[in-house]
Amino acid sequence: MADNDIVLKAEGICKSFGAMEVLKGVDITARKQDVISILGASGSGKSTLLRCLNFLEPPTSGKVFLHGEEISVGKGGKLNQKQIERLRSHLGMVFQQFNLWSHRTVLENVMEGPVIVKGESKSVVRKRAEHLLDRVGLAERKSMYPSQLSGGQQQRVAIARALAMEPDAILFDEPTSALDPELVAEVLKTMKSLAEEGRTMIVVTHEMAFARDVSTHVIFMHEGRILEEGTPQEMFGNPRTEPWRRFIADVS
Amino acid sequence: MQELFAYGETGWGDELLAGLAVTLQLGVAALLLGLLIGFAVAWASLSRQALLRSAGFAYSTIMRGLPELLTLFVVYNGVGLLLNQFSAFLSPDSTPVEFSPFAAGVVALGMVFGAFSSEVLRGAFNSLDPGQSEAGRAVGMSTRQVFLRIKLPQAWRFALPGLGNLWINLLKDTALVSIIALEDLMRMTKIAVGATKQPFTFYLAAALIYWGLCVLSEIGLNKLEKRANRGIVNR
Amino acid sequence: MDPLYIIANYGPRFLDGTLMTLQLTGLGALMAGLFAPFLALARTCAPPAAQWPLRLYISFIRGTPLLVQLFLVYYGSGQFRPLLQDWGLWNFFRDPFNCALFTFVINSTAYQTEILRGGLMGVDNREVEAARAVGMSRWRILQRVSFPHAYRIAWPALGNEVILLMKASALASVVTVFDLMGRTRQVFSRTFDFSSYLWAALIYLGITVVFVYLWRQAELRMTRHLQTGSNTTQGEQRNG
Repeated sequence: MADNDIVLKAEGICKSFGAMEVLKGVDITARKQDVISILGASGSGKSTLLRCLNFLEPPTSGKVFLHGEEISVGKGGKLNQKQIERLRSHLGMVFQQFNLWSHRTVLENVMEGPVIVKGESKSVVRKRAEHLLDRVGLAERKSMYPSQLSGGQQQRVAIARALAMEPDAILFDEPTSALDPELVAEVLKTMKSLAEEGRTMIVVTHEMAFARDVSTHVIFMHEGRILEEGTPQEMFGNPRTEPWRRFIADVS
Repeated sequence: MQELFAYGETGWGDELLAGLAVTLQLGVAALLLGLLIGFAVAWASLSRQALLRSAGFAYSTIMRGLPELLTLFVVYNGVGLLLNQFSAFLSPDSTPVEFSPFAAGVVALGMVFGAFSSEVLRGAFNSLDPGQSEAGRAVGMSTRQVFLRIKLPQAWRFALPGLGNLWINLLKDTALVSIIALEDLMRMTKIAVGATKQPFTFYLAAALIYWGLCVLSEIGLNKLEKRANRGIVNR
Repeated sequence: MDPLYIIANYGPRFLDGTLMTLQLTGLGALMAGLFAPFLALARTCAPPAAQWPLRLYISFIRGTPLLVQLFLVYYGSGQFRPLLQDWGLWNFFRDPFNCALFTFVINSTAYQTEILRGGLMGVDNREVEAARAVGMSRWRILQRVSFPHAYRIAWPALGNEVILLMKASALASVVTVFDLMGRTRQVFSRTFDFSSYLWAALIYLGITVVFVYLWRQAELRMTRHLQTGSNTTQGEQRNG
């Protein structure tokens, strides 16, 4: 791995659930400041791919590298739990259903990871958390509980929670799919501002506009494989494969 | 009337109070042991291994189906027998060991509480949203951290009402231990009855004390539930 | 420890005790079942001022050990012996079986009342209104609509209560009633054979298993209309 711009790299990722082969050998490389959008129909394996990158679903085979360090993928099913935990602490994740911890306040949600996992001092983390909440526009809600917030607000807190870990890259798993239409924009706006400040992001999404206007790289997944990928200009300007063409036509 | 319940030589107030202290000690000790058993059995019945699962299921089903009094006798007499056989085996001429009524009470009531609480805990852990733990794993928490910081506090919230009911049952069941001669509130009342020949007065007094304990427990439990449920606002 | 010896020599005693346990539980649950609907009705409809004695009674029963209640009746009645003799009740309270049964009825009535109250509150108001609309009298509505529904809702909880009462009936042995528990203690004190307890455990579990099965069969019979016919099923579920 000579190229030290590469943050996260995965090679030949395969994943089966029983007899069902969901991923059939996928390669993906995220360099610093990349914003990669992963598109595809439901069942194409895009969410599974994202979850394989931080081992929420351990891949059946393949390799994952963080800054060139290989995370051992089970041959014989043995995973290095400590290594995986370290990988995860370097990758933020934002879920479709937000998954904010319901028994903790907004501020506590944001502080939990850095304090518990990274062992940072509370006072330092509190300052950073308050700053991040301010950034996503929710500074006054810091003492509230997640159930008291709207879906869009919860997702923005979830983004702040991911940022608090000061991750090398952030994974977004359909971050706007569970939101009411009128709440989608506020979350997309937050994500766009992250992209503009040069964050490395991998986003599984249905938002074509985000993929076209914000991302630096677009991946189209089809039946467990990457069928087509490239810059947004290439992908949207000159679609090469039939399924991708149909996908663009269907969605827009 | 006042004389009967006076403190000191003439009245029975201090004896009843001493009995109450034993009752409370018994209740708290059985609660702690019972929670321990409850967690272990719940863990077994949620395990992926079929053998452990059926063992947990069998324990909670059988224990819940037996009269508490029978369990108490089984523990008191059975464990006593075992202990004696064991000590006789170690040194044939040792004096017979006494399994204290207090220990028997703690073990028996703890076993019963464990069986019922395992069901409550199993239900509570089953109703957790898996996304909550996933979010913990995603920031790099270890399995232990996920359990202690996410699963446990959230399961606690679900389990609290059920555990509260079980605690009140446990408190009432402590009275059974007076039958195997532990000097708890019930036993002291019986002694007072024997001396004063006023059974109704004294058993009513005991009843009122138990009632007071239960009402106090309910008030405390309501407070605990309110605390545990902060953050669960239904809009 | 010799289980076969125990059952061969003391089998009839266990049988005797089992019948006594069944009798105590059955009579206790049944008699409590006679009072409970009236008290449950009072608990749902009576004005609040009229309810507090009832609430006090239920709270007292639920907040005190059954053993204390039993002693209050069995030993406590002795304190009022002259009075009870005047009323001709002394012979009743002198008998431990009567005292145990009396206590169980008082105790189970309180629990069954609360369970049935829950059932009554669970009855869909629209069905009551429909009955009113066809001109049924209040009494008739209770009889034809409210209570049948309430019992159907409360049935599983009532079954639980019967099992709890069966287990609790072992306390009768403390006031010298020879129920299953009493017989078991008797056999153990003669033989010091631990397997007498195991036989008792087996019989108690057996009674529970059979009872749960019968109760469930009765429930299926009662809710037949909810299982067949797709349209009604969906409607009922949405209402319930």
